[in-house]
Amino acid sequence: MPHEPMTNTKILLLHDRSAMLAKARAFFAERGVLEVDCCALGPCPAIDSNIDVIPAEVAPFQIGYLHTSPEYAMKRLLADGIGDIYYLGHVFRQGEIGRIHNPEFTMAEWYRIGFSFEQMIQETCDFIQLFLPGPLKIKKITYREAFAQYVNIDYSLASVPELLRAASKLGLTPDPTWPRDALIHFLLTYAIEPSLGKEEVTILTHYPPHEAALACVVEKNGEFVAERFEAYYQGVELCNGYHELADSLELRQRFREVNATRVRGGKPAYALDEAFLSSLGSHFPDCCGVSVGVDRLLFLRHKVQSLAEIIPFAWLPS
Amino acid sequence: MSASTNEIRAGMKVEVDNEPWLIINNEFNKPGKGQAFNRIKMKSMISGRQVERTYKSGEKLDLADIAEQQMRYLYHDGDNAVFMDEKTFDQINVGPNIIEPMKQWLMEEIIYQVVIYKGLVVEVAPPTFLEMVVTETTPGVRGDTSGRVMKAATTSTGAKIQIPIFIEEGERIKVDTRTGEYAARAND
Repeated sequence: MPHEPMTNTKILLLHDRSAMLAKARAFFAERGVLEVDCCALGPCPAIDSNIDVIPAEVAPFQIGYLHTSPEYAMKRLLADGIGDIYYLGHVFRQGEIGRIHNPEFTMAEWYRIGFSFEQMIQETCDFIQLFLPGPLKIKKITYREAFAQYVNIDYSLASVPELLRAASKLGLTPDPTWPRDALIHFLLTYAIEPSLGKEEVTILTHYPPHEAALACVVEKNGEFVAERFEAYYQGVELCNGYHELADSLELRQRFREVNATRVRGGKPAYALDEAFLSSLGSHFPDCCGVSVGVDRLLFLRHKVQSLAEIIPFAWLPS
Repeated sequence: MSASTNEIRAGMKVEVDNEPWLIINNEFNKPGKGQAFNRIKMKSMISGRQVERTYKSGEKLDLADIAEQQMRYLYHDGDNAVFMDEKTFDQINVGPNIIEPMKQWLMEEIIYQVVIYKGLVVEVAPPTFLEMVVTETTPGVRGDTSGRVMKAATTSTGAKIQIPIFIEEGERIKVDTRTGEYAARAND
């Protein structure tokens, strides 16, 4: 396709993008958080049930992977005692092309040693507010409360027929042959997320243990929940944060389960990143971390129709 | 033949519940750590009904068994329009449910693309440009030849379109059937 000259509006939006990246770096500098520019191309892929990695031929017969987040590399630096760090740069995810998805996007990811889960949520909100017209109110809702309030079910107990009935009451039509976890994700995507953060920033917290990813699982009000949070503004998911799990045995077990899920879903299993796993241990600091989608923040800041309007050259959806 | 939700594009034709559907759009949606979905809007090629369906990304949809043939419009027979296959000379009748929405582009001796699903005509598509005569419009104004000032007109096929004010009744014009807009004066 030939080059299409940019509109003046887009040039102005790119000027603002540059100013906001500088503001983001100033935010971390003020707080004494060190920038690290971890390699985007590594030998091991990150393992996640629903995130696919883009492979690259590094040398003949040698495959590497573009990082989906700098998480494993940053945690190796944390294990070595580097202190508070952030990454502000591009990450890559296969197949994610849409109005608010681009297979290459800009992520701000940072780790804070000794921060409590609540402190991390607060700092994430402060960062988000750099970009949004405000000051905005912050509202917190747990995963359990969100399913009760917007779908009127107990997410941990509801049967498949009950989930289908709840969807149908909301005018939604999921495929009745889907497994339970796909129905839960469907309801989260189409019944809950669009309602989150209408006027304020909404923080969704305390995910079920099987959605813990790399977060600690704790007991809260008599049930096990993951110390994981996401932020939403105007229905758009903006971040993913954890109180970080430091237990490499537990993590190894979770990675095995994720690989099993991937294989069941017809996706390839990935090799475990032994350098990352072996870096964790008793010396790994108690810390919280979060990754924020910077393009999504600019998308909301400028009230545009798609990410393509604020990214210099985006992949276009069909 | 089937296609993954990632390959489905606007304009493709798929078969769902034994019915052919035209894809209107396909929206990718995915919570960061969650299952990815495609919400696909489609229009029935039989009833015209629009629905939205959500698929898990990577699920496959059957492509509709669609044949497209070049056919010449011959004449009207009661409620039906009679077309002739350009290759086999077979004639077929097409009912008013298909003809009614496009009858403003129906002209004898013109070749149409007829879309057939399992032996049934589901769409008759006109050529992109059709030449027709302006049969009704207000008198032209001399002076403005920019083509930017428009007026209402009716054509020999009954199409109601906007034309530049310098075009007179009885003139032949070229019309874009995709948009229903005036394209140019026909040169003959």
